[in-house]
Amino acid sequence: MTESPLTTGQRVSSIAHDFGVFRALTARGMMRMRRIPALIIPAIMMPMFFVIAFSGSFSALANVEGFPTPRVINWMVPYAILQGASFAGMGAAGGTATDIEGGFFDRLLLAPCRRPILMVGPLGYSALRSLIPTTLVLLLSLALGADLPGGALGLLCLYVAAVGVALLFGTLGLAFVYKFRSLKSLSIVQIFIFGFMFLSIGQVPLALQSGWLQHAARLNPMTNILRLSRQGFLGHVTWHGTWPGLVAIAGLVLGFGAVAYRNLRRIVP
Amino acid sequence: MTATVVEASPCRAGAIAQAYELARRSTVNMWRQPQAWAPGLFFPLMLTAVYAAQFAKAIHQPGFPPVDSYLDFVLPASVLQAVAFGATGGAAELAKDIENGFFDRLVTSPVSRVSILVGRIAGSAIFAGFQAGLIMVLLIAFGVTIKGGVASAAVIMITAVLLALGIGGLGLVLALRSGSQEIVQSTFPVLFVLLFVSGTFWPTSLMKGWYGNVARHNPITWIIEPLRELVIEGWSWGSAGRALGITFGLAVFTTSLAFATMRARLRRL
Repeated sequence: MTESPLTTGQRVSSIAHDFGVFRALTARGMMRMRRIPALIIPAIMMPMFFVIAFSGSFSALANVEGFPTPRVINWMVPYAILQGASFAGMGAAGGTATDIEGGFFDRLLLAPCRRPILMVGPLGYSALRSLIPTTLVLLLSLALGADLPGGALGLLCLYVAAVGVALLFGTLGLAFVYKFRSLKSLSIVQIFIFGFMFLSIGQVPLALQSGWLQHAARLNPMTNILRLSRQGFLGHVTWHGTWPGLVAIAGLVLGFGAVAYRNLRRIVP
Repeated sequence: MTATVVEASPCRAGAIAQAYELARRSTVNMWRQPQAWAPGLFFPLMLTAVYAAQFAKAIHQPGFPPVDSYLDFVLPASVLQAVAFGATGGAAELAKDIENGFFDRLVTSPVSRVSILVGRIAGSAIFAGFQAGLIMVLLIAFGVTIKGGVASAAVIMITAVLLALGIGGLGLVLALRSGSQEIVQSTFPVLFVLLFVSGTFWPTSLMKGWYGNVARHNPITWIIEPLRELVIEGWSWGSAGRALGITFGLAVFTTSLAFATMRARLRRL
């Protein structure tokens, strides 16, 4: 038996259906977060603390020759925001793990919708969720004296990087959750987050680093994502400072997404 | 078959034997759960390695203490960080005993009340001494010189043990009051903030404004700075006395509070 090809009308209807499921899954995540604010509070409080602690502790770094800004807070804000976005991004995986452990995910698998949408829906929630810590940390930082000489374009780069980081750690989290089907597996993702963040130009520029860390930071794709997010805080936005970050985000999201989707396809309700 | 007869009378020898047995139980318990103690060793060592490479060039700026490498500067901080993160382990185990009813069985048996608490907290204190020794050996292997020699190393180890008793005592108070592991573990963010807003990773003399003032008045700074003097300047009775005196005072205060809380809890039963 052969399947008859879809007509244009059926294809449009299928896309509309997929979009409806995506919107419903994203909205469900947001509703869950509104009902349990504790799910988002750490992702807000942690980067706020990091902005204060890193800018306060390492304020004298600005006096070191080669440090690219006289205001250490300008250097630390994007780093703290991306850390918050990474934990906000894990929300997709956390919600899915809860659904898997509670049995609700089996019902989703049996529902008349395509599997990729089951993955993309929670990622939409992660992306939206990451906007909350990003905005709040940014407001706090501006109040504490940070400035954004890169203007609106710089702001756009920051938000693109934050959403990108939320998506990439969301897909990584989903890859682990689909594989191990447990909330506890997310502790492995936390190790990845710390690894990506610490072994980068998060706190100190590449020129001031030395030895093994400098090599690791140069190879770490997070370095380019940080450059993308930081441009507006250090000066004007350039294409040269933008495209490597965009490529790093796209590459990691597609790579982790492919692994996550492979693991999702192996789940049998 | 032989049975061990535990002395029912609350004589000192009996209490010591009971405390020894309970401490042994607590230590064996901890050793059998690497997931409970391994992060407390891994994360401080990882942070030390990353910061040593990040701040390799920053140590040459004016105002930074004269050190050969950042590792010399950060050794006491690495020890205290590891101890602080692992010190509430014994208290969390006590809370678990309360949750699962083992504590009630202990207090209805002819076991000295003192030995119940001492047994629990001694495991954490012994482990803190081990952590301090291991971190010092590892950092010495990577080129750190403790200018104060063996006596200074001994002071760092004793300070680590006393700090574990101090923080552990506070954890015991929370465990006895709440009977909840979750509440005991919620002290982690507080310790995290205390460690970061201090002279742990950077000299307070180079911190500006209100942040510098808070860091200079943080008790963690009062403990770390004399230990750092022992490492980078050499032996000094004053520095040793300050570090040991503060941690001894903290240990006496919090463990006394824990015993008072224990008496109050038993009165309520």
